[in-house]
Amino acid sequence: MQIEIINSPGNAAAKVVLDGGEKLVAESGGMIAMSADVSVVTSSKTKGGGGFMKGIKRMLTGESFFLNTFTAPSQGGEVYLAPGLVGDMVIYELDGSRELIAQGTSFVGSGEDVELDSNWQGWKSAMFSGESMFWLHCKGSGPIILNSFGGIYEKEVDGSYIVDTGHIVAFETSLRFDVQKAGRSWFSALAGGEGLVCRFEGRGRLFCQTHNANNFGWSLSPMLRPRN
Amino acid sequence: MTDLQFEILGKPDYGFLKLRLAAGQSLCVEASAMAAMDTNLVMKTRMKGGLMASLKRGLAGESLFMNEFTAEGGPGEICIAPGAIGDLAHYRIQPGKSIYLQSGAYVASSPEVKVDTKWDGFRGFFSGTGLFLLKVEGNGDLFFNAYGGLVEIPVQGNYVIDTGYIAAFEDSLNYEVTLLGGLKTSLLGGEGLVCRFSGQGKIWLQTRQIYPFLRWLWPFRPQKNND
Repeated sequence: MQIEIINSPGNAAAKVVLDGGEKLVAESGGMIAMSADVSVVTSSKTKGGGGFMKGIKRMLTGESFFLNTFTAPSQGGEVYLAPGLVGDMVIYELDGSRELIAQGTSFVGSGEDVELDSNWQGWKSAMFSGESMFWLHCKGSGPIILNSFGGIYEKEVDGSYIVDTGHIVAFETSLRFDVQKAGRSWFSALAGGEGLVCRFEGRGRLFCQTHNANNFGWSLSPMLRPRN
Repeated sequence: MTDLQFEILGKPDYGFLKLRLAAGQSLCVEASAMAAMDTNLVMKTRMKGGLMASLKRGLAGESLFMNEFTAEGGPGEICIAPGAIGDLAHYRIQPGKSIYLQSGAYVASSPEVKVDTKWDGFRGFFSGTGLFLLKVEGNGDLFFNAYGGLVEIPVQGNYVIDTGYIAAFEDSLNYEVTLLGGLKTSLLGGEGLVCRFSGQGKIWLQTRQIYPFLRWLWPFRPQKNND
């Protein structure tokens, strides 16, 4: 499987070239174009089994209940994937030795040997991180395609690092994370507009996004027509 | 006629068109897209192709009026900014070959290029391109844009595009609207209807659609105050 991210960074799409018989798993609605002979199967299952309950848990991460599996015909084929909102994309390669935790809405697609599960990240993260209660836990081997709101940048953490809660795309499980207030006092945490942040400890790769979709949405809110 | 001398800046996210017109050369531009120009350019507002053609263009989501800019007394520069944030592409129209644009995608063209509106009927309704398509033919340069990035796909045989992501396609291609895969994929897989193209020619795919963004914005609407 060859993946190329095109049209970076504002309206990125992933062009996935599949060999004959090769499979690509994608979030529901993510395919925007493909060779005509590629076949599609919709299911709540992924590698590692689970089916229905895994689908329910995946929904709690903000990801879709159903996933589409694209299979190339014997002569091979191509599939284009794109997310709904503006932003960039990145490819992360799982090699079996590491695992990745991704924000549910960041997942676009993966190779067929990637196992997708949802993880409860603890009450603190659920209540305060501003993200969903569950995060997507990716294991196995193969590529994962992630998207971000705005640009995406990688940080190699060695020691500790702080990221605002709305700016996390994905991180390796070798990193431990905790939610804490941004300043020393509650006053600076709240009045400074930073609220709560995630503190990462350990060694591993961390992917962050340059913008926060909720902040953009709320900034447009006063200009939108009120709901009846 | 002479080819237009142009440069596309700000690709791929903020496609912006800069042209240098020779003395006496003209350019047709969609209404309100002119961003900057030299002072020797003269603007004339016209209903290109006559009243009927303009009214039909209105059905395809374009303005009834088009502006024609002509460089007088020497060469001159003009900059054009389409309304939507996204990519911009150039296409050289050859006689006898035409290209179809999604409604609203037209930006500018040589005056020798004819822009017509074609009723695409229910196929158009289901394809997400709108009930009308713009058919562009003649001999000259055409510029079009889309919300999102533009990806040129050479088709030989068959190709599938999700409805709503078609920005433009050559008329040598045929398409029909079908369901993707089985009923389960159509209803639950989020892919719904797709356009199945056949033949030989190019398609321009847009990497984003405005509707998912608008749907995402919905919950941010303020509550109405009933006091």
